[in-house]
Amino acid sequence: MADTSKAAPNQGRSLSPDIWAVIVALALALAVKLDLFKNIPW
Amino acid sequence: MASSTSTSLPRAESDNRWLNALSVVPGVLLLAGIGYAGKVLERSINGYAKAHHWTFPNIEYVLWAILIGLVISNVLTIPKIFQAGIDTYEFWLKLGIVLLGARFVLADVLKLGGISLALVVIEITVSLALMTFLGKIFKLKPKLISLLAIGSAVCGVSAIIAAKGAIDADDEDASFAMAAILALGALSLFTFPAIAHSLHMNDVSYGLWAGLGVDNTAEATAAGALYSDAAGKVAVLAKTARNAMIGFVVLGYAIYWSRKSQAEAVTNKAAFLWKKFPKFVLGFLLMSLLVGFHTFDKGQITSLGNLSKWAFLLTFAGVGLRTNFREMLQQGLRPFIVGALGEILIACLTLGLVIGANRVWGL
Repeated sequence: MADTSKAAPNQGRSLSPDIWAVIVALALALAVKLDLFKNIPW
Repeated sequence: MASSTSTSLPRAESDNRWLNALSVVPGVLLLAGIGYAGKVLERSINGYAKAHHWTFPNIEYVLWAILIGLVISNVLTIPKIFQAGIDTYEFWLKLGIVLLGARFVLADVLKLGGISLALVVIEITVSLALMTFLGKIFKLKPKLISLLAIGSAVCGVSAIIAAKGAIDADDEDASFAMAAILALGALSLFTFPAIAHSLHMNDVSYGLWAGLGVDNTAEATAAGALYSDAAGKVAVLAKTARNAMIGFVVLGYAIYWSRKSQAEAVTNKAAFLWKKFPKFVLGFLLMSLLVGFHTFDKGQITSLGNLSKWAFLLTFAGVGLRTNFREMLQQGLRPFIVGALGEILIACLTLGLVIGANRVWGL
C-alpha cells in the first residue's frame, strides 16, 4: 500500500484520498439527484 | 514516465499530473475486471448448480473477487504497470463507505454508532494493553509493539501509517506490523463468517463483531459482506466508529514517545487530531444526513447504494491482489505470532462484547 504520510514536494497542495472520496461521492450523489444517472443496476 | 526536470514549469507539472492520472488506468481496469468476474462467477456457478440440482455452497461475489485476486498475486507476478491502479483500492473503499451513508437512516447511525462507539472504547483499551503485554513477553522492539498495538486496536494499516510518522518508527518496524495485520486480516475473512454461522449470529450482531474484531477496513467490510448485505452495512458502521478514534490513539502514543525524547513533541493537539482524523467519516455522516432530510427519493437511494456496492467490488479485488503470503512470511514470524495471539484474544473479547450488547440492547 502506498505510504501517504509523506507527500512529495511537488504534491504539497494535493488532496488526500479521503477528501477525494468525499468529493467524488458528493458529485455522484448530485448526478443521481439530477437524474443524470437513473436506476443504477447491481 | 515523464522525466523530472529542474526547470519545473507549470505546463510540465500539469503534464505530469495527467500522466499520473493515466498511470492508474490499467490497475483500475484490472480491479474492475476481477470484481466483475467475481459477480459473473457467483451468478453462473450458482445458476449451474441449481439447474443440475447440485448441493454446492453459495459462494458470494465478494469471496470470488478476493480469491481471484489472491491467486493472481500469489501465483503470477503482477506487471508494474498495474501497481498504481491496484493501490487505488483504498480510494474505492472510502468512496464506497461515503456512498453507503445513503443507506443509513440517521437514527440508525446514532443508535448503532453509539453502541459501536461504547464497544470500540472497551475494545481499544483492552487491545492496546494486550498487544503491549504480548509484545513485551516476546521481546519485540518497543516501537514495533506500539505499531502492532495501534494497528490491532484501531484500523490496521492506515493507523500504522498514521502512527509511523508521529512516533518516528523505522520503516522496517512499520512493514513488520503491516504484514502481520494484513496476514491476519486475510485469515479473518475465512474464520469470522464460519464462526458466526456456527453460532447462528444475526446480521447486526455479526456486523458489529466484524467491524470491531477485524483490523483493516477493507477486510472488515469484506468479512461483513461475506455474511450478508445487512451485516456488511453494520460492519462498515462499526469499523467507521473505530476509525474515528485513530487520532486520539496516535496522539497518545506520540505524546508517550516524545516524553521519552524519541519522537517530535506535539505542539498543537487540536491540529494533530484534525490531521489524523479520517475525513471520509464526515462524508459518511453527511450522506446519511442528506438522506435524513429527504434529499433523495427511494429509487435514487437504491442507485447510491448500488454505486457503493460497485466501489466495494473494486476494493475486494484489491484485497486479494495486494495479499502476498510469500512477502508476508519473509517479514519474520515473531511479529506474526504476537499479532495472531493478540487477534485471537481480541476476537474472543469482541465476540463476548457483542453477545453481551445483544442481550442488553437486543440488536
